[in-house]
Amino acid sequence: MTFELSSLFILGLAYMAMLFVIALATDRGWIPQRIVRHPVVYVLALGVFASVWSYYAATANAFRDGFGYLAPFIGISLAFLFSPLMLRPILEITKSYQLSSLADLLAFRYRSPVAGTITTLVLLMGVIPLLSLQIQAVANSVALLAPDTSQTTLAIVFCSLITLFAIFFGTGRGAGREKHEGLVMAIAFDSVVKLLALLTLGLFAIYRGFGGFAEVDAWLQTQPELLASIKEPDAPGSFHVTALLFFTAAVASPHMFYMIFNENNDPKALTLASWALPLYFLLLSAPVLPILWAGLKIGSTAPLEFYPVSLGVDYGSELMTLIGFLGGLSAASGLIIVITLALSNMCLNHLILPVYQPSARNDIYRWLLWKRRALITALIWIGFIFYYLPEDKLSVRAIGNVSYIASLQFLPSIIALLYWPRGNKKGFLAGLGVGVLIWFAFLMLPVLTGTNLLAFSDVNTREIIAGSLVTNVILFVAISLWTRTSAEERASADICALDTIRRRNRTGLVARSPEEFIEKLTKPLGERTATREVLQALRDLKIDKQEKRPYALRLLRGRLEANLSGLLGPSIAHDLIDRFLPYTIESETGATDVDVIESRIEAYRSNLSGMAEDLDNLRRYHRQVLLELPLGVCSLGEQNQIVMWNNAMAKLTGISSQEVVGAQLKDIEEPWGSLIADFTSAEAAHAHKRVVQVKNKRRFISLHKAIIEKSAAHKIKQDGIVILLEDLTETELLEEELTHSERLASIGRLAAGVAHEIGNPITGIACLAQNIRDETNNDELRSMARQIIEQTDRTSRIVQSLVNFAHSGSNKVDHTSEVVSIEECVNEAIALISLDKRRKDIHYRIACKPGLKILGDSQRLLQVLVNLINNAHDASPAGSTITISSKLVSGSVQLAVTDEGTGIPESIRDRIFDPFFTTKEPGEGTGLGLSLVYSIVENLNGHIDIISASSRRENPGTRVILTFPCYDDAGLPVENFAKAL
Amino acid sequence: MYISRSILLLLMFSYLLFLTSVDWVSQPQGAWYRPFIVGLLVILIAALCHREQNSDDL
Repeated sequence: MTFELSSLFILGLAYMAMLFVIALATDRGWIPQRIVRHPVVYVLALGVFASVWSYYAATANAFRDGFGYLAPFIGISLAFLFSPLMLRPILEITKSYQLSSLADLLAFRYRSPVAGTITTLVLLMGVIPLLSLQIQAVANSVALLAPDTSQTTLAIVFCSLITLFAIFFGTGRGAGREKHEGLVMAIAFDSVVKLLALLTLGLFAIYRGFGGFAEVDAWLQTQPELLASIKEPDAPGSFHVTALLFFTAAVASPHMFYMIFNENNDPKALTLASWALPLYFLLLSAPVLPILWAGLKIGSTAPLEFYPVSLGVDYGSELMTLIGFLGGLSAASGLIIVITLALSNMCLNHLILPVYQPSARNDIYRWLLWKRRALITALIWIGFIFYYLPEDKLSVRAIGNVSYIASLQFLPSIIALLYWPRGNKKGFLAGLGVGVLIWFAFLMLPVLTGTNLLAFSDVNTREIIAGSLVTNVILFVAISLWTRTSAEERASADICALDTIRRRNRTGLVARSPEEFIEKLTKPLGERTATREVLQALRDLKIDKQEKRPYALRLLRGRLEANLSGLLGPSIAHDLIDRFLPYTIESETGATDVDVIESRIEAYRSNLSGMAEDLDNLRRYHRQVLLELPLGVCSLGEQNQIVMWNNAMAKLTGISSQEVVGAQLKDIEEPWGSLIADFTSAEAAHAHKRVVQVKNKRRFISLHKAIIEKSAAHKIKQDGIVILLEDLTETELLEEELTHSERLASIGRLAAGVAHEIGNPITGIACLAQNIRDETNNDELRSMARQIIEQTDRTSRIVQSLVNFAHSGSNKVDHTSEVVSIEECVNEAIALISLDKRRKDIHYRIACKPGLKILGDSQRLLQVLVNLINNAHDASPAGSTITISSKLVSGSVQLAVTDEGTGIPESIRDRIFDPFFTTKEPGEGTGLGLSLVYSIVENLNGHIDIISASSRRENPGTRVILTFPCYDDAGLPVENFAKAL
Repeated sequence: MYISRSILLLLMFSYLLFLTSVDWVSQPQGAWYRPFIVGLLVILIAALCHREQNSDDL
């Protein structure tokens, strides 16, 4: 059975078109986000690992190594099954520091641009032949199906389509940060196609080739040699070396690194991949044996590795042939696209940018985008040339197999990155250099040139790999131990290592605001890029543009470095940030930011168990105690930076802890900043009742402090000050009120005494004057006697008001308690006042809700109302209106007397309830009226408020509001108006 | 470095399963898909272990 090239061409073209459509539909948002961002899509995209190496070569490997063909699948599956040990920590680092490749990661960890460059070169050497293998596999499968056609034409078309796809969907807008959802979706689709293709072929092989599962076993029993070769153990170590190689490949192969870490949207997706991806590989590897045996049974003449395609031809099924071909095409296309994207980033960051950087005048994003596109094109076509040029196509396969082994040399540095902070750049470079040299001399060179340097001995490939790896490890460890590590590198090592809590706490940034960040970065990046990057970092951190807190600016600096690392690679980003946004103060090693420690513990909290969990619970409990303490707590760290600001403090000052933690004292809103700063610098440990003006109100604050001395212990480096703020405003106001009451009481006692002492002589004078008036006929004398009587009457009234005041001030409840109708009382008061014919022309408006009642003495309430209405009358101009209203508010009766007078000046408002205080002319009033009202209202369990509504233009008078508890007819308190009625 | 108990359990289980299943898998009369059954078992246990994994935000 042969096919026309055109049919295969159309099939390939249709498949690639489908990939374009899927990617385009995803990028345009035609596919719902819940599907695009589903963890299963991520898991399937990770299936890119299964290239033609797994699709085609697995059958040949199974024939040669038996179950040994499973070693690559087992190796990579182990990396995922135990992802919390390696993949998850690396995911955290790459996400936090925007590292897009292994070269970025190693350059970041070992703080060396050279490390990044060497890693890129080694990976390029290892991966380019793999690219050629993919192209070759597609071309060979076409040649198998259409022997008379030109493989090269199809390879060129295939490479062109892949190039276009990678450029359109893999490079985005050049910012280097965005996820390529269209690409991920297309790669996931690729993975589904190759899995379905292999499963279909496997079932076809079992049922069409043998007739069922039992028949396969029966046939195998007739093939003892084949059975033995499958189940015989491999050569010692061979399986392990291959498994180890592919275990490393999870991180060391550019395409896997790219997919696992760059395109991860959610860490939970990696948790799913931890078991789902091994399951995917298991399903992918299971059909390999039936396909191989079905091919062997029918005596296929095709090369072993192409059995997935030739099976359909051998059994006369066109559909199966095309399914096999499509599976191979999907395996090859996915790998080429992802690998070139990953390599283009690496080449740009570690080969081009260290040598040539765009001018700040250029649009950096555009420059990077075009360089990335050019690199993608170059890499795919280098792969093509590598496939096209060699005469002997077998050598390409051999080189591909050997070149991939180079990535194993990264295993020691990857493990050290997470678990051995002492490993340093020199050790890494020496180990990697010698390891790669051994690999090149003894594995690559013989394949390239045919000269075997170890021809005299019987050392095999497996032993060379093991030897190179052991040499690498020994050199890495030895040189790392013998040489010094720079402080810069130690800092990076601490960030990457998982068992360390050491962080260098550096402060004193040169730039003091986001605007200054932009200004400083304009020089290397240009204004547009600098502004965009700083704004992006602010958005990422949800920080305001006006932010000036040192803590927030340190975060901004870190985020900027991470974001620029995603754009330009870690080495250049670090160098750029260090040069243009340097720190001015560097604290000693071991000092730590409390908030950094806390955020780390919070992030790992669910991982804690046993004693660690208990300690964490204890920490949280103590923290909660401090947060909920009813006193304001504020602790200060180095340079008066605020470390803690509890809830009471936030309530007292109106400044939330988010706004203030990390800021310096001087940056806090007044008056709190200067209050705390003055107290901090003062020697006294306590300050009693400091008065502060907050929104025109006086507040009385007591402050206490304790100094945390620097510990002599090596591991404890914390020092600072704890400050407690106690709000005494309420207490102060109560004290003032108590003093006022005491004063009233003493004046009352005095008044009672004076009234008693003056009353008797006055009565005597009045009696004598009456006698004179009645017993004399002298008109002049009678007139004088009348005047004496009038004056004594007036004195008696004053004395009587003093007696009334003295009685009202006593706490004795000897007054009658009855249900009093507010409306009746108001009407009576108005009637009484109207009897005075000498009064001005004033209108009275009564707006009382009927039925409102309070508990008390109707005569005393009447006295209160008469006093208030009289005061209002005196303050009102002729022709104005006095309004007396009452309403029910939350179970209380509110009775208001409102005039249209001049209001009460602010300066005397505090004194109007004082006895003998009056603004009237001498002889017009005693100054006891309001004082009496105050006392009576207090005795009736009410409350008095005076609102001088001078701001109200339409009614610039005074409103006196009396509030009493509301009662019903039976004398029971009521909750709402309905009941009151 | 904190290693969760479930991962330690998975490590131990996989190792013990590997030791005990080698003979069973390579029996000449045994079915050819026995290694895949062992693989499925490991994946099943792994899925159970990873369900306990935390979901800390990064």
